[in-house]
Amino acid sequence: MPRWMAAHPHLSSRLLAWTNAYRYRRGRTVLAAALIVVAVGVVAVLPPTGPILGWLGENWAVTFVLAVSSFTLSTARRRQHASIAAATSWLASLPARHSVWMQVAIGIVRRLAVVVALAALVWAIGAIDRSDFSRFSFATAAGAAVGLLGGWRLQRAGIGAPGYHYAIVRRPRARWASAPSLSPLTNWPAAQGRVFSRPKKTAPMLLLPMLAMPMGSPGQVALAVAAASMALFSVFSLSVAAVRVAFDAARWLAPTTVGRLRFTGALTWRVMLTQILVLVVLLLLTTTVYRRRALTVGAPLAVGYLCVSLAAAIVAALIACRRVGLGASGRGA
Amino acid sequence: MSISLPDTATSDDAGSQVLLVRSLHAGYDKLVVLNGVDLEVSRGEWLALLGPNASGKTTLLHCIAGMLVPSAGSISICGHALRRQALAAKRALGFGCAPESLPDLLTGRQCLEIYAAAKGLAAIGGDVLALAEEFAFSGMLDGFVGSYSLGTKQKLAVLLALLGEPVLVVLDEAFNGLDPASALVLKRHLRSRVSAQRCGVLLATHALDVVERYSDRAALLLNGRIAREWSSEELAALRAVPGEGLEVALAAACAGS
Repeated sequence: MPRWMAAHPHLSSRLLAWTNAYRYRRGRTVLAAALIVVAVGVVAVLPPTGPILGWLGENWAVTFVLAVSSFTLSTARRRQHASIAAATSWLASLPARHSVWMQVAIGIVRRLAVVVALAALVWAIGAIDRSDFSRFSFATAAGAAVGLLGGWRLQRAGIGAPGYHYAIVRRPRARWASAPSLSPLTNWPAAQGRVFSRPKKTAPMLLLPMLAMPMGSPGQVALAVAAASMALFSVFSLSVAAVRVAFDAARWLAPTTVGRLRFTGALTWRVMLTQILVLVVLLLLTTTVYRRRALTVGAPLAVGYLCVSLAAAIVAALIACRRVGLGASGRGA
Repeated sequence: MSISLPDTATSDDAGSQVLLVRSLHAGYDKLVVLNGVDLEVSRGEWLALLGPNASGKTTLLHCIAGMLVPSAGSISICGHALRRQALAAKRALGFGCAPESLPDLLTGRQCLEIYAAAKGLAAIGGDVLALAEEFAFSGMLDGFVGSYSLGTKQKLAVLLALLGEPVLVVLDEAFNGLDPASALVLKRHLRSRVSAQRCGVLLATHALDVVERYSDRAALLLNGRIAREWSSEELAALRAVPGEGLEVALAAACAGS
């Protein structure tokens, strides 16, 4: 092992994990990398991307301020996470300095590289000229450097990132249920869905619909698109949560005699109800502006999505039950 | 199968202090867990740390390993203050990390190599490799940690702790998940290291047979303090009592506090 790796066990451990992931899970790793490349490519060829980057290149001072703000917050958040990880990791007791600074800096440089690569791609396809690309890249890089220093101090001042774990805290019930039932299980996928669609995850997702809007769109339209996108993302998150929780819940309840139908019902009904409510409200709001299109296009799409979501949740629950043998005897259904 | 009893170390023949904890206070946010803990471990001594669940045993061990910064008090390992001379103190420390914190995407061999490199070793020690062989772990060295069972991860955590001839070995529930044969191998290995004055051992455990048969001293952590200590003579006396000597004494100490 090279000396620099020995001196930085946290970095060498991460490097080895990446190498292992590539070596032994090559298909999955290549697919993930390809998806990232495709996503960057899609963003690069979207019609508004060129004009936006061009404008940012011309107005480099704005770019610089935006970069400083963004990288400052990112640095503060990364520093807090890295510090906690360093203190609780399996390598914490080793006689080696864990450079939180280096870890944060690597993350910031990686992020900067993605932004500059995106701009380079847009320049390569001819959507912006060379001078805009240069100004944009330099302003972003300078902003990243200032943001890195500023964010480091911001965290020290105690204005850093919010809590480490995202969790929904509920008040405990005063009394236990007199007749225990599976109904609390319905909260699991609903809560998991809220975790999936938390602001940190929703914000980057909003980038695509906002970029896809024509330049010069009115503010109220942009707000409506953002709100609708968030609502639809929460609906999609609930579907993903139902599928994922089905496997976890089945594994947990495998030693019990819960029947498959009861398990599937408990797992899906709240998710479906929430999705129906959200989509109905969304359709009602849309009908006030585009009544005809909401009824002819929106309603069938919503019904179709609900059917697919329900089918996915049921199939996932049944596969999960089968995998762990839950409800195999048919008792307790 | 015979079990070798400890060569009990008395206060006269105890070697130099490898761990000294004084007035240690620690907690999480507003929750105070340790409220003035005093503790010593000498070279050639095995101290068992006892206490009910949530009494602060793991918190104390995390403070000693430098994973949690105490709010007050001092910790020194082999004369090096953990706060001011962290690297020197950690060089003398072998800490058994929690098995679930081991990285899933590395192999056992890679974990050992990283630890050995970070401790500045030219090679992994022969006795650690021999212990791996006795654990029947050698065949699993090239498997991913994520594919290991709890017991296998525990074996790896123990091997990592024993790498590099640490003068102070700190283990938290190290026998959890180990099969009886592997547990016996580990008990004997630790005992032989202690008896040869190679290290001092601090073991947080609920396994009273380990305390009775292998430890030199035992300490009960209760309400954030060391509430009761048993010397080697007291442990020997409890061993001589037929039945559940230490179990009864421990229950009485907990009830008394």
